[in-house]
Amino acid sequence: MVFLIIIIASFLLQMVLPWWVVIIISFATCGIVGKTGKISFWQPFLAILFLWIGMALFKSIPNNNILATRVAEMLSVNEWPIVLAVTGILGGLVAGISGFCGYQFRKSMIHTKTTN
Amino acid sequence: MNKLKTFICIIIPIVLAFAFNTKFGDVPPLLKFLNPFTGFWQNAESTSITIEKKLALKGAHNKIEILFDDKMVPHVFAQNDHDVYYAQGYVTAMHRLWQMDFQTRFAAGRISEVVGVKAIEVDRYQRRMGMVYGAENSLKGMMADPKSKEMLLAYTAGINDYIRSLSRANLPLEYKILDFKPEEWTPLKCALLLKQMSAVLAMGSDEFYMTNILKKYGPEITKDLFPDYPFKESPIIPVGTKWDFNPLPIPATPKGYTEMMTGNVKTVEKVEGIGSNNWAVSGAKTVSGSPILANDPHLDLTLPSIWYQIQLHAPGLNSYGVSLPGAPGITIGFNKDIAWGVTNVAADVLDFYQIKFKDNTHKQYWYNNEWKNTSVRYEKIKIKGGKDEIDTVYYTHHGPVVYFQKPAYARAKNVPIGNALRWIAHDQSNELMTFYLLNRGKNYDDYRKALTFYTAPAQNFIFASAEDDIAITPNGKFPLKWKNQGKFILDGTEPSNDWQGWIPAAQNPTVKNPPRNFVSSANQSSTDPSYPYYINWEFAPYERGQRINDRLTAMNKITVDSMRNLQADSYSLVAENLLPTILPLVNAEQLNASQKEAYNITSKWKYYFNANEIAASVFDLWSKKLTESIWNDDFTIADIPMRYPSRDRTIELITKDPKSKWFDNVKTPQIETLADLVNSSFKFTVDSLEKKFGPIGKDWNWGNVKGTNVPHLAKIPGFGSKKLLIGGSKSTVNAISETNGPSWRMVVELGKNVKGHGVYPGGQSGNPGSPFYDNMIDTWAQGKLNKLFFMQAADDKSGKIISTYKISKK
Repeated sequence: MVFLIIIIASFLLQMVLPWWVVIIISFATCGIVGKTGKISFWQPFLAILFLWIGMALFKSIPNNNILATRVAEMLSVNEWPIVLAVTGILGGLVAGISGFCGYQFRKSMIHTKTTN
Repeated sequence: MNKLKTFICIIIPIVLAFAFNTKFGDVPPLLKFLNPFTGFWQNAESTSITIEKKLALKGAHNKIEILFDDKMVPHVFAQNDHDVYYAQGYVTAMHRLWQMDFQTRFAAGRISEVVGVKAIEVDRYQRRMGMVYGAENSLKGMMADPKSKEMLLAYTAGINDYIRSLSRANLPLEYKILDFKPEEWTPLKCALLLKQMSAVLAMGSDEFYMTNILKKYGPEITKDLFPDYPFKESPIIPVGTKWDFNPLPIPATPKGYTEMMTGNVKTVEKVEGIGSNNWAVSGAKTVSGSPILANDPHLDLTLPSIWYQIQLHAPGLNSYGVSLPGAPGITIGFNKDIAWGVTNVAADVLDFYQIKFKDNTHKQYWYNNEWKNTSVRYEKIKIKGGKDEIDTVYYTHHGPVVYFQKPAYARAKNVPIGNALRWIAHDQSNELMTFYLLNRGKNYDDYRKALTFYTAPAQNFIFASAEDDIAITPNGKFPLKWKNQGKFILDGTEPSNDWQGWIPAAQNPTVKNPPRNFVSSANQSSTDPSYPYYINWEFAPYERGQRINDRLTAMNKITVDSMRNLQADSYSLVAENLLPTILPLVNAEQLNASQKEAYNITSKWKYYFNANEIAASVFDLWSKKLTESIWNDDFTIADIPMRYPSRDRTIELITKDPKSKWFDNVKTPQIETLADLVNSSFKFTVDSLEKKFGPIGKDWNWGNVKGTNVPHLAKIPGFGSKKLLIGGSKSTVNAISETNGPSWRMVVELGKNVKGHGVYPGGQSGNPGSPFYDNMIDTWAQGKLNKLFFMQAADDKSGKIISTYKISKK
């Protein structure tokens, strides 16, 4: 569920908004429907990992990876798949952490309310 | 506790968003750059494209059609002048926006705005040399004429309409790396770009060095080692050409030379490289019976490419050639009636004047026996991540006082402290008009008329027409000077040292249809000493020019292909002039095995700088080292910046005066001879090549040792070309050095149907993610040319069109 919401919302909203909208989406989604801490980290992580790698390949394959190869050399990592992996993992991590924060945020709010 | 947790849960995502959206040092903002929706992946262009696009644009007055051929060259078909330049602006921005933006920011001294405080000296230099001041003056000239004004405004509107169409995702790649945004284009930026061309081609100045030499060695030696006309020369205007005009009186040479200032800089050898070739042969020498024109301007090569190919078609105009991204019109090209090209003229149009200030406020200076007021120009330099800097520049009637203190900046090392700069590029001018008229030119008279509008940087304008006229004119606005005025720093207090007017445009050196049936230039002396006016005391060395003239004299039944081969000719006259004298001086008995082998290889060499020649590598380093060992002891003195005598004078000394005192190294007690220097420099050469490239073998090949490559404009790693194993050398016709060489090669055969051929090292697109970024490099490296598709009409089917834009008025 979390995975689907995030991947679809991120795909659509990134067409018009900057990349950091995935942070808001992950945070909000997990803050509302995230069931456990584990889910709230891994599902946003995987959603963005897949979405970003998919989108990157969609642009890069018809390009014969010419640009990815140049950027790999610029970042001195030599092989373009490393750039692809870094893109996916870094994006995933940021989303995962944000999702986890969203989940923890809700928990602390509920907790605050009940103790009050 | 929970409040803290809540707070942390909110703050972490915000910190992440911020951290990955911000540029730290030279690292691009990571996720802003990497995310595939708006980051660099979006700049990856598909390798197979066929686009039919319909655009409605506000700035278009009528229907415009732009057809892109299989080299991605746009062919613009418009109904009026405005639309043709509007479309040129639009497509040029589409392919080259970042390059145009970056180059004009560089010209305007605005790089710190983008990269931060590390570029501050670059910016100060540009401002203090008066680049913006010159561009503003130049713009006045361009806006004064309704035709050039229309060109400028339409071109600007086209660029801006493209900029407005950009989204975050399709911003050019380098903006994403350097993390800045394009700004509105202005006509001033076009002027800045043209000024930058002047800076590249006409900012050279040796007078600071020459003044130091004069002071150190006196007039006798200075005259001997730095003569006013070279030992060997083959001037552009053939010797014996009559000057059919009555020259203006030449101003009298004033008495006395100036005092001078010194700084802490090292001696440099005059850098050769900004050169070019052009020639035109008349129909009498060609197979087709029609003239052929060839041109290859040499510049510091970059990707995105310096030039942008385009065809412009409108009523009264159908022209093909290369343009400078950022300036409307075609700079080098052809139409059905004429072809034209340019090489640089090393005219002395930049002088330094020693200024005597009243006091440290610099408010007044002494001139013509009275105190005159300076004016002040404040240069506001914005710095990314820092506070704005206001740089105050004092202007005399000569021009800006460039520096009061020596800056830590390499390009400023020839600028004397406390001197005012008089530079032609500061004057009002309208170069655009020249190209407007050439693009539409029909014959010799149109060519001559077009040239009268041109100021700077002075160029050897070559010309050929379908009517079988050929001509060449070293052309620009040349100040009327006394002989050698500006060879040394001038005294700014004396009115007799000012520029005294101008050489009339009609009296610039020129020749039409000379008896030898060809015209040519390679930056050498414009004329022999019989020309009544002073243009400069030193031009580029003669070798390329001589080789071209030798070959063209010998050649008959010329074809496009034989012209192409001449452009790729790598025969070295330097080697021919020098080796027969220095090789016999090498003492073979004292050589080790490697040195002997290198000696044998060099002895058998036929003087061609081909990619696979080991001897070329040996000779290149050897001659450099020999020159250095002759002059270094005399001309490298701490705190006195000087330069070496020319290559021409050095070779004259070696071949005609082998006992000269200059061969002795004054820093050693014993007396060295020419033979000593020849031997020690030869051994040094072989030893250092061995150290760097191992035992003599394939790695010593000239192509490998030279290591030609085309770097990215902002030197971003991975965005330049690979190492190209190709021949050529600065002093040969094929003047390719490490990163300098023919930035465009063109051969045009005129006639009933004009045929153009050309190539440059790069591609039409400035996007490193485009297959058209560097697709022409290999053709260029092989010395081949592409056929240029000169369309007669928008439905011309004789070439391949891969994409079409149909633009209508919004």
